[in-house]
Amino acid sequence: MGRVYGEPVEVQTREDGRPTGFTWRGRRYTVTAVQEYWLVNRNWWRESSPLPARPELEFWRVEAGRPAGTYELRRDIAAGTWTLRRIAD
Amino acid sequence: MPGPAQFTHLHVASSYSLRYGTATPAALAARAASLGMPALALTDRDGLYGAFKHVQACADVGIKPLLGADLAVSQGGRVTLLATGRQGWGSLCRLVSAAHAADDDVPAVTLELIAEHAAGLVVLLGPASDVGQAVAARHPDLARRALDRWRHLVPGVAVEVVDHLDHKSTFRAARLAELARDAGVPAVLSNAVRYLDPVGSLAAQVLDAARHLVPLGSPKIPPHNGRAYLAGPDDMTVVAKRVAAAMTGPGTASAAIGLLAETDELASRCMLDAAYDLGVGTHHLPETEGSAYDQYKELRDRCEHAILHGRYRTASAAGRPRGVSRLKAAQQARDRLEHELDIIARTGMAAYFLTVADVADRVRNAGIRCAIRGSGAGSFVNHLLGISAIDPLEHDLLMERFLSPIRATLPDIDLDVESARRLDAYRIIFDRYGAERTACVCMMETYRARSAIRDVAAAMSLPPDEIGAIAKAFPHIRAKHITAALTELPELRRSRLNDAQLATLFGIAQQLDGLPRHVAMHPCGVLLSDRTLLNRTAVQKSGEGFPLSQLDKDDAEIAGVIKLDVLGVRMQSAMAHTLAEIRRTTGMRIDIDAIARDDQATYAMIQRSETIGCFQIESPGQRELVKKLAPRDIADLIVDISLFRPGPVNSDMIGPFLRTRHGLAEPRYPHENLADALKETGGVVVFHEQVLRIIDVLTGCGLPEADLVRRHLSREGGPERTAPWFRAQALARGFDPVTVERVWQVVAAFGGFGFCKAHAAAFAIPVYQSAWLKRHHPAAFYAGVLTHDPGMYPKRVIIADARLSGVQVLPVDVNASSPDWMAEDQGNPSSGTDASTPATRPSPLGGPAAGRSPARKLMESSGPLQALRLPGRRPPEPAASPQAIRCSLREVKGISDAEIARIVAGQPYASLRDFWNRARVSRPVAEHLVLIGAFDSLYDIPGFPGAPNVRVEPRSPAPYPPAPYPPAPCLPAPAAPGPLSPVPLSPVPRPTRRDLLARVGVLARQSSPAREVTPALDLFTSVGPEAGDGMADLVPAGQLRELDPAERVATELEVLGFDVSRHVMSFYADLLAGLEVVSSAELPGRENGEAILVAGAKVATQTPAVRSGQRIIFASLDDAAGLVDLAFFESVQDRCAARLFGSWLLLVRGRVRRAGAGPMAVTVNGYECWDLPALEEIRVAGGMDAVRAAMAVGDVGPGTHQPLPPAAQATDVAAAGSADPAAPVTFANGFVLSPYAETGGPGGNLKHPPRNLWHASPGSTATPN
Repeated sequence: MGRVYGEPVEVQTREDGRPTGFTWRGRRYTVTAVQEYWLVNRNWWRESSPLPARPELEFWRVEAGRPAGTYELRRDIAAGTWTLRRIAD
Repeated sequence: MPGPAQFTHLHVASSYSLRYGTATPAALAARAASLGMPALALTDRDGLYGAFKHVQACADVGIKPLLGADLAVSQGGRVTLLATGRQGWGSLCRLVSAAHAADDDVPAVTLELIAEHAAGLVVLLGPASDVGQAVAARHPDLARRALDRWRHLVPGVAVEVVDHLDHKSTFRAARLAELARDAGVPAVLSNAVRYLDPVGSLAAQVLDAARHLVPLGSPKIPPHNGRAYLAGPDDMTVVAKRVAAAMTGPGTASAAIGLLAETDELASRCMLDAAYDLGVGTHHLPETEGSAYDQYKELRDRCEHAILHGRYRTASAAGRPRGVSRLKAAQQARDRLEHELDIIARTGMAAYFLTVADVADRVRNAGIRCAIRGSGAGSFVNHLLGISAIDPLEHDLLMERFLSPIRATLPDIDLDVESARRLDAYRIIFDRYGAERTACVCMMETYRARSAIRDVAAAMSLPPDEIGAIAKAFPHIRAKHITAALTELPELRRSRLNDAQLATLFGIAQQLDGLPRHVAMHPCGVLLSDRTLLNRTAVQKSGEGFPLSQLDKDDAEIAGVIKLDVLGVRMQSAMAHTLAEIRRTTGMRIDIDAIARDDQATYAMIQRSETIGCFQIESPGQRELVKKLAPRDIADLIVDISLFRPGPVNSDMIGPFLRTRHGLAEPRYPHENLADALKETGGVVVFHEQVLRIIDVLTGCGLPEADLVRRHLSREGGPERTAPWFRAQALARGFDPVTVERVWQVVAAFGGFGFCKAHAAAFAIPVYQSAWLKRHHPAAFYAGVLTHDPGMYPKRVIIADARLSGVQVLPVDVNASSPDWMAEDQGNPSSGTDASTPATRPSPLGGPAAGRSPARKLMESSGPLQALRLPGRRPPEPAASPQAIRCSLREVKGISDAEIARIVAGQPYASLRDFWNRARVSRPVAEHLVLIGAFDSLYDIPGFPGAPNVRVEPRSPAPYPPAPYPPAPCLPAPAAPGPLSPVPLSPVPRPTRRDLLARVGVLARQSSPAREVTPALDLFTSVGPEAGDGMADLVPAGQLRELDPAERVATELEVLGFDVSRHVMSFYADLLAGLEVVSSAELPGRENGEAILVAGAKVATQTPAVRSGQRIIFASLDDAAGLVDLAFFESVQDRCAARLFGSWLLLVRGRVRRAGAGPMAVTVNGYECWDLPALEEIRVAGGMDAVRAAMAVGDVGPGTHQPLPPAAQATDVAAAGSADPAAPVTFANGFVLSPYAETGGPGGNLKHPPRNLWHASPGSTATPN
């Protein structure tokens, strides 16, 4: 399944929210293709903060970088933050 | 895409998909219409409960309905079935019924069942189907095979493509679409809708957890993401394009357009016509023999026959209103019959009347009491057919309120039967009409505040204790009022429930408001239809084993099916038991329906408001009203029942009515032409029937039309829309503008509230009957009331009332008690207990006596009973009927029906061992029986003197703390010689209850689990229980201390739930005396406005609708001498509400308030209250000064200093209403209803005193928990 990171990353997106590139550990990656896109509610019942208006997390599985690798990016819609979740082998 | 986007959802779950969907059918239809959709399907899971609501909602917003169901397939997966046309709807109903008929708990269908019912159905195979599952598992070959099997079995098959943007869902949707394309099966797009908006997914997630009984985060719950919402056409086009883009192979370019076009095509095929396909708007009555004319003829013949033979009440002198001669009455009867037959002929309802008469006859022939309720009492035909005991001509009731030629809906005839035999009545109906024409009506139990909080909190993994505490802190209110209640109700404001961490919980709980969570059998509705019923409703089996329709009562009306309300009424059972007891003990056979309705002794009792236990008139408010109103005949009772309603209270009718009634004011009529209509109520509008007449007089529209106007007035905005018509009509008829305006104000203020007089008349009969039985056969009456528990009060109040009426309450006795409460003659030797020891029968009052005991007579003339008796309260005349009641075995905690049956079958018992061997009860039950003295008579254990459960006068020496045998004042001491005392002359030492308890332990250890029935009875009877059963050697008598009086009462409260041997308040005599607490008997002598202390056990709390719109808490305390009625206004609730709801034994400080008209109507306006046991502990520890000091500081009692757990503060909160807390309901006439007022029946949930609130005083060893 690859390596799991869970590190914050900086992501550039198109207007429709699709990532075009991201910067991770000082290196810039350009997104060449989106393989998958899906949504899952956050674990809102474990959180003490008030419920956000949009409780979803957005997942993008993309091809990026050279040589091409598969990366899974997660966006917390409420907070607007991105995380690099894992890198596929 | 070309043209405006159009889309129809084919797969939609509403809230009628239990614990699955979150949106009501009405909300879904409204949203679909606002999104410009031409139609909408409703395909609830496992049922058609929402179908007719959906049809109605679609009609309301002008879109076409589609109907279907989402069913589990026992071979795996779920499929959605859509109905096409009338045949499809019939197939769907039968298929859903078949799904529920499976033996399994979970409704499911087999492939074969679907094939069998395939006519007119289309099967949608989506991601949840076996086809979709195979695709998800990446087994395209399996998927193809599954799809082919479906095509082979069912003609109408389509693949349903869904993409909720779950992980891999787009990929799978594309593969499914490819499969359909390759197999040549149409593929449609749906959104498998579960909620209206994305935000609804949180509630849906909680419902998944609640349905699976797992916490959120469990792998059993699929991931949620808010995409299963009712998406608009544009959003659905995006989905179609996304799926198409993920497809490969031929034809993908046009795949999106193809998906949407197929969806549209299937939608148009499945649109249903409400009238043609579903039968909406026609009546489906049971088939009868003969033509409509034959039925009408039969009805006429039966009615004319009844008239000819004088079988109606106004034919007899007793039933005729004053001033009506026999001839005139007969003429009126004939005229009325013609009038009603004309209406029946024009509405074609003859078959309906005959059907109901048939049902009523059969129920009565089975020996089940049966009375009419509701507007049907206004029909003379109902009276002539024997359905109704009320002659509308006697009480001036109108047929038009019940049935009129211009109203399309089926009239309701409601029958009240004995609650204990309601299911027998159902069986009679089912046997007569057959399961293909008959089904019970269903109803949905919905989420309210407590249940919603419980399910959400459990899903969020809160600890169970905390869940219970939080949920119970709330009164019984709507879930949507949770947040408002937190800030508005004093008892919640003081809790810690406002913490931010609970905000999410409460937020989600509010979203569950009103969602159905459980299907139940409606308490009274039975559907009667023709043999196509099962093509028009799905049925399942009810918990009681009856076919249960998935139509609720509103749906039945839309579907045009007759609904007969057969309501189980506990009072009818109580009266049946009373009559049976009278017959058993005296041989008298009373036809209660035929007794004269003018017994002055009965009315005198009602006027003294000694009405506890009587139907409808026992609540504190009603007892106050009957005191003021002083009813003299049935007509007065009808008025009384009608006045005690929100409507009349709302319009302030009671004050003016009472003033004219008591001659303090002349009746005033808005116009002299209205005098006829309003004479009976002194010019005040009380009845619906009067509103009809007023409208008719002023506008000349006729009574049928007037009834439509009245119905219209009760709707929102009705008065505004009606006013112009009313004014124009009345002015045109020559009434002057001032009069018209004045009358209109009356009519508008009356609105739709008020009361149907026919309904009140139907109620007044059992009111009178129950009061008559109470007055003339009190012991049998109390036995009936205690057995069937029909009223609002806990049993201990009924028991206290029985004692005050001179009926002795005898304890449970293994040799004398029955499954039910029985009337018993105190000296009746046939009871078997005291044949051998007649002189030592442990009657609490001393020795045995025929009829009333000498001890009681002695006390009545000189003892405390006389002082405690309410002024004017007279004991009933000594009658041949018994004067005691025997507590039933069923009251014993934990006893099973089988144990009761064995105990009764084995009576009498010679000893404890004999009982143990033959009755074979469980050890806890045997121990309970010993502890409450069920063996006392057998072993000669004396009842304590002072046991008549009457609070000993405060100033006399108190029996608390208890000595083993405390001498009680005014009563013979046990050792004193004399005819009244038990004579302990037994040669064998007498065991104590504790000795017997120890012996139960020994017996339990000795005997094997399966006890043999030992035929050893006659070995012992000759020598007596103590010497004979050999137990004395194992546990010698007299070794263990006897239970003291406090322990006895504590045990009774634990085991029985009420105090038998003495009143629980008697233990606080010193405290009450020290505080100079006023007893209820002394209240009438107190000054208006005087500040006093009262105390007692809480027996009822109510928060009814009152004119001011405040939430007033009414409470009643039982202080052994009677009831003290309390009112707490909003200004003091901050201080008092938590204590008032949280404690059982209360001390209250308040001011005496004497209501205007009656000398007896005294209420105490409370403004401070304390927990009595807590004060008693302070007194025992520090004396009276410490008590006064503690009271001066403020609240005393459990929960005072620890606001959590909240359960300790606000358990047992009385039922509160359902109005919006933030905005009290304001009626057109300025009446404001408190949002927390009860809008349901009277009550409060104090039927069972909180057993664990009995205080643990130091020195008391028996503290039940």
